Amino acid sequence: MFLFNLTENEALNLEKLKNKEILITGGSGFIGIWLTQLLLYLNDKFNFNVKLYLVARNEDSEISSIMVNRKDVTFIKSDIRNLREFPKNISYIIHAATSPDNRVYMSNPIESMDIIANGTKSVMENALQLENLEKVINLSSGQIYGALNSHNISEDDFGKLNSNSITAIYPEAKRYAETLTNAYRSLHKVPVVQVRPFSFIGPYMSLNKPWAVNNFIRDALKFKNIRILGNGKPVRSYMYPTDMALWILNILVHGQVGAAYNLGSDMGVSLEEVALKIKNIIGSSVNIDILNMNDNCSEFVPNIDHVKQELGLNITVDIDEALKRSIDWFSKNSL
Amino acid sequence: MTSKIKLYDVTLRDGSHAISHQLSEQQIEAYAQLIDKTGIYAIEVGHGNGLGASSVLVGKSKLSDELIIKTAKNNLQNTKLGIHVIPGFATINKDIKNALSWGVDIVRVASHCTEADTTEKHIGYVREKGKEAYGLLMMSHMATPEILLDEAIKMQTYGAEAIVILDSAGSYLPNDVRERISLLSQNLNVPVGFHAHNNLGLAISNSLVAIEAGAQIIDGAVKGFGAGAGNAQLEVLVALLEKMKYNTNIDLYKILDAADMVENKLIKEPISISSLSIVSAIAGVFSGFSKHVKRVSKEFGVDPRDVFMELGHQKIVAGQEDTIIDIAIKLQKRD
Repeated sequence: MFLFNLTENEALNLEKLKNKEILITGGSGFIGIWLTQLLLYLNDKFNFNVKLYLVARNEDSEISSIMVNRKDVTFIKSDIRNLREFPKNISYIIHAATSPDNRVYMSNPIESMDIIANGTKSVMENALQLENLEKVINLSSGQIYGALNSHNISEDDFGKLNSNSITAIYPEAKRYAETLTNAYRSLHKVPVVQVRPFSFIGPYMSLNKPWAVNNFIRDALKFKNIRILGNGKPVRSYMYPTDMALWILNILVHGQVGAAYNLGSDMGVSLEEVALKIKNIIGSSVNIDILNMNDNCSEFVPNIDHVKQELGLNITVDIDEALKRSIDWFSKNSL
Repeated sequence: MTSKIKLYDVTLRDGSHAISHQLSEQQIEAYAQLIDKTGIYAIEVGHGNGLGASSVLVGKSKLSDELIIKTAKNNLQNTKLGIHVIPGFATINKDIKNALSWGVDIVRVASHCTEADTTEKHIGYVREKGKEAYGLLMMSHMATPEILLDEAIKMQTYGAEAIVILDSAGSYLPNDVRERISLLSQNLNVPVGFHAHNNLGLAISNSLVAIEAGAQIIDGAVKGFGAGAGNAQLEVLVALLEKMKYNTNIDLYKILDAADMVENKLIKEPISISSLSIVSAIAGVFSGFSKHVKRVSKEFGVDPRDVFMELGHQKIVAGQEDTIIDIAIKLQKRD
């Protein structure tokens, strides 16, 4: 498939996955779709012979179309909280269930926290039954760092997280999930690794998600107008999903049990710069309105030295290329 | 925080309450033509309870939503056109979709102050269509500042580009306003607005307190033409802000012209602080109930002040107008 183009060496780094069975929870979500595509690519191009199980409550159309005529993927339609038994030969688990869409947590806070807490517990209980289990990735969140204003957030930096605020629902539940999986590691020796995703932009995302870059692309493509409420100064970073998927599989194979790894780009970019880049790609007819209604200049960018140094991984798709590929895909598929 | 203040004109929406939603096409046309020359940011039109609200329960509108919106739009070139939307009265497919096609620029999605989660889909839809979406918390005196903040954060997360709190009962003291606006403006990323009612004679001074506390959007109505004792008198606000050296970009003489026109052609009886308005503020009941309470009290031969006090005791909110009759019957039996 056009989305991946791995070298022999990059594939060799993942060779441990050959002939293994891998289970991904949240299989029809953004991360699940990209991991599925990478694993199927490895099967097709490098004969990995991976057998893949996807667990999700609903089989969305994107994942259905990817699975057409594939015998190496099995879809298990289930709420992760209710799944009592995993296929017995699973060697690797990537626990990616739960959406980071804050609207869901605002409208359904109790159910959402329950999915994270008891969904994670269910994964761990099932993991205990697996004789061939080699590694479990718990996909946590960059939001567990709380209120940090930094362009260099490393895995040991923790800011304030006010548990008495409605904004704490998602990050607090994710912190609980990290602590819970580490408790299973401590007590039952479940080989757990924590991965903390930051921000992404790329195909298969919804442009209606409540994140600035998604809305900028949507509004630029549909209405030729980008509205920035504040001063455009807040700095974020965006990872392209081909890098994201490759990093997750590398962490799955080589990550140290008990360690935590940031997953994201360290190339900070202001919202105004993002808007200008989008305008440059789509064309000069796009108007950018900076409304200056607040003075927010916050920065939220991960330090990714841990991954770079320990696993030798890099960002291969920069923000310009990520936006270009994304806009190309969205203009054909998503509007 | 920046010192930009946007004045938002609710004369042709809140004023509908004052004349039982009987605005004529000619009145809308004449007002829109005058206001368009003033430099006011936006005007809001419609039934007092917003889009789709015309009904036996809350009062039938003389004109259809379509005619009101199209008439206003046809006479506006500079000033934006807004509407008030309460989920339940207005639905996305039946009402909002059409309203946007008739040229509405701003949709202000309102809920009772503790029910922000009813606004998620409406706000999301407006944003997906590239229009401005605000979140409004009505009867905001019924929630603590902390709960208001939670509800405001929900609306911000759903995509609201401003949060306006409404003193629907006109019962706020200046400190109530200061406390709430300060908390919201310090904790939200979007501008905060304030919508006053004049039941206790504080609409103008509370609006100034709101500005001092960080509000960037202030609602007002020319001649105070709004429900009950009316809103903050817009032309007074303009004059005061000019005197206080705020740059509103509004032409004072032209807004005074609009005020004279409203006095001559829209208002049947001057907006004043009636005895009932004072009682409704003390009881903490929505100002728009006045006409219903007066009518029902007369019919059942009970003291309308007792009806308001009982409505306040039962914490009745807009949309529960049918309770007025139940209370009148109860009081009649007691007497």
